[in-house]
Amino acid sequence: MNFELSDEQQLLQDSVARFVSDNYDLESRTKLVAGKSGFSKEHWSTMAELGWFSLPFTEADGGFGGNQIDTMVVMEQIGKGLVVEPFYASVVLGGGILRRAANQDQKTALLPGVIDGSRQLALAYAEEQARFDLHDVTTTARPDNGAFVINGHKSMVANAETATQIIVSARTSGGQIDENGISLFLVDADAEGVKLENFPTVDGLRASEVTFKDVSVDASNLLGELDGGFSVLNETANDAILALSAEAVGAMEVLYKDTVDYTQEREQFDHPLSDFQVLQHRMVEMFMEYEQCRSLLYRATLEAAQGDSATAQRTIHALKHMVGKVGSFIGESAVQLHGGMGMTEELRIGHYFKRLVVIDAQFGNADYHLQKFAA
Amino acid sequence: MDIELSTEDLAFRDEVRAFFSENEYKPGEDYNQWRLDWFAKAREKGGWDIPKWPTDFGGPGWSPTQHYIWEQETAVVNLPWDMPFGIGMLAPVLMAYGNKEQQERFLPDIRARKVNWCQGYSEPGAGSDLAALKTKAVLSEDGSHYTVNGTKMWTTMAQIADWIFCLTRTDDSGIKQQGITFLLFPMNQQGIEIKPIITLGGAHTINTVFITDVKVPVENRIGEEGKAWTYAKGLLQHERTGLAGISRSIIALEKLKNQAGTVKRGNATLMDEPGFRAKVAELEVDLMAAEFTELRSLASASAGAAPGPESSILKLKGTEIQQRIQKLTVEAGGIYSAAWGAKPVGPSFAKGGMGGYLASRAYTIYGGASEVQKDVIAKNVLGLKRSR
Repeated sequence: MNFELSDEQQLLQDSVARFVSDNYDLESRTKLVAGKSGFSKEHWSTMAELGWFSLPFTEADGGFGGNQIDTMVVMEQIGKGLVVEPFYASVVLGGGILRRAANQDQKTALLPGVIDGSRQLALAYAEEQARFDLHDVTTTARPDNGAFVINGHKSMVANAETATQIIVSARTSGGQIDENGISLFLVDADAEGVKLENFPTVDGLRASEVTFKDVSVDASNLLGELDGGFSVLNETANDAILALSAEAVGAMEVLYKDTVDYTQEREQFDHPLSDFQVLQHRMVEMFMEYEQCRSLLYRATLEAAQGDSATAQRTIHALKHMVGKVGSFIGESAVQLHGGMGMTEELRIGHYFKRLVVIDAQFGNADYHLQKFAA
Repeated sequence: MDIELSTEDLAFRDEVRAFFSENEYKPGEDYNQWRLDWFAKAREKGGWDIPKWPTDFGGPGWSPTQHYIWEQETAVVNLPWDMPFGIGMLAPVLMAYGNKEQQERFLPDIRARKVNWCQGYSEPGAGSDLAALKTKAVLSEDGSHYTVNGTKMWTTMAQIADWIFCLTRTDDSGIKQQGITFLLFPMNQQGIEIKPIITLGGAHTINTVFITDVKVPVENRIGEEGKAWTYAKGLLQHERTGLAGISRSIIALEKLKNQAGTVKRGNATLMDEPGFRAKVAELEVDLMAAEFTELRSLASASAGAAPGPESSILKLKGTEIQQRIQKLTVEAGGIYSAAWGAKPVGPSFAKGGMGGYLASRAYTIYGGASEVQKDVIAKNVLGLKRSR
């Protein structure tokens, strides 16, 4: 048993942490968020040069041969800095599908671009009626002379605005909520019939509503087995939950530490706020809950990395439940203990709080995963 | 004790309903004119424009039941836009501590909603510890006016206020609760600079107000010099009672149930999911109790008692309930609550949910943070010695 990072992982953590501390103060982030694409192309290139995008791919595929632990290391630092570049959307989601489902030709064609950052992927899986169920799919793909014709509407697609390719889940057989009969397709973002409506999200990131109207893709763009896309989607969703949870744990750490610092500086009633026991206890609880999340994050990530999928699945439900619940508690407490200042856009804590609120809703909220866990 | 509505009460309720429906805003109407007319007509009803003012000042002198009916009915209609600062917060101080001349000078315009007021209380160094305020007011040698210098913070709607009621320090030689003086002055003058504070939801409602060498005639001082802490404390009690928003929460919870009922989950809806349903039920239980805590508080107020420590209970419970409703609205919206563009995405209610939730985090901070409210109850109700 060992909870220490390996030398390589430690180097990776140091490298990401250095990037974040060099580039991500609140002011620089605010500028990026307000800009046209919502992130920095320069940062994106730097991340590619640092090798982050190669992490989850095998050495045979030109990658680093890493696993969920390496992704966790990166995402935790991303959470600490509230990094806005689409590492999660392109590498964790898009890359997660490709490395599981793509055939050799597809990998040869696509992965070098993903790894060097010239390609950016987005994953379009959510539909309004589905709420958080990945298998509830009404978007259809109909075979048509060696091609497929896609029709439907996908929601809240992270970073589709700047993506070169969108991976879409579509029904090729079965009923609306059948796990069988879902297939995954790679679609060029500028293909005819693909319509994007782009907008910011409350946490400073970007998302799109994506409509597919008679979008014709060659059969060579089918990723994985026909009708067999669900398990790939579900495994990728598990990767996504681990990544988001690592990001959340990074954000929670900033929030509790900032709160401890602030209450020692701010004086009211002739004492630092931190002298008041009621506030001390609240901060102790923030700290304890944060540590509990970190423990469960390690547990789920290590189980997933070991490939014990049934055990990992249950722990991942537990983790996402806890991260959602604790994320609200720590975020709301940080705002409360900062008082009026916590309500302003001027301090960074509000921005971390907003990110945690959104993470709770991504890939199923606290209630949803508790129900799955108990089932 | 009984909770039956009498025949008179039922008649009153019908009268209130009739008044609201007769004076409803009609699309296309000049909103401001409608607003002023609405208050003028409410005035003709015998003080319906100022339900909480005492009869000596034109208030309607309602029974607690009538107040309760009014609260319930107002929660479901679109009342004209109003701010609490003049009507609900300054007016009671003027009535209790202002002289006759000041009452005659300020109360009519407050009542007619002609003048917008803002509250100059908090400062960068004086939040929960309000008595630590430092904005200085120095009396001129001839005793004709004060010169005011300092910074006020979190000042709600300062950007549209015509006047400010302001706590200033005229003496710092004694304990900090002494030497505070209550001054009124116009906002539109040299020496007043307003800087917006943008809050988490992206809205601009609060401000920092910089006051530099502003001259305030001595006739604009309410009560005695240096005694304003007592007046201000009374005012905060009024503010707190107004912040509980129980009737509005009852309506908001119903709305939430309807919204969650439109979120499909297989053959059922989100309202059928055990986790969500249980949270809604718990809220409803707490609201049922809070509604009667408010009624008990109203009853003691109408018996002539000033709002007492029970206003702290109401503020604590009421704001916590409002926050829980907002949080559940965000949960009901699912991932769509995160959308922050101009156009709504997903269920129609999702768009407002997130802004409401973020803004609601301030409810347990302003008007006395929850931690301070609990200290007030510990000290004044339970008689406990102050701890740290």
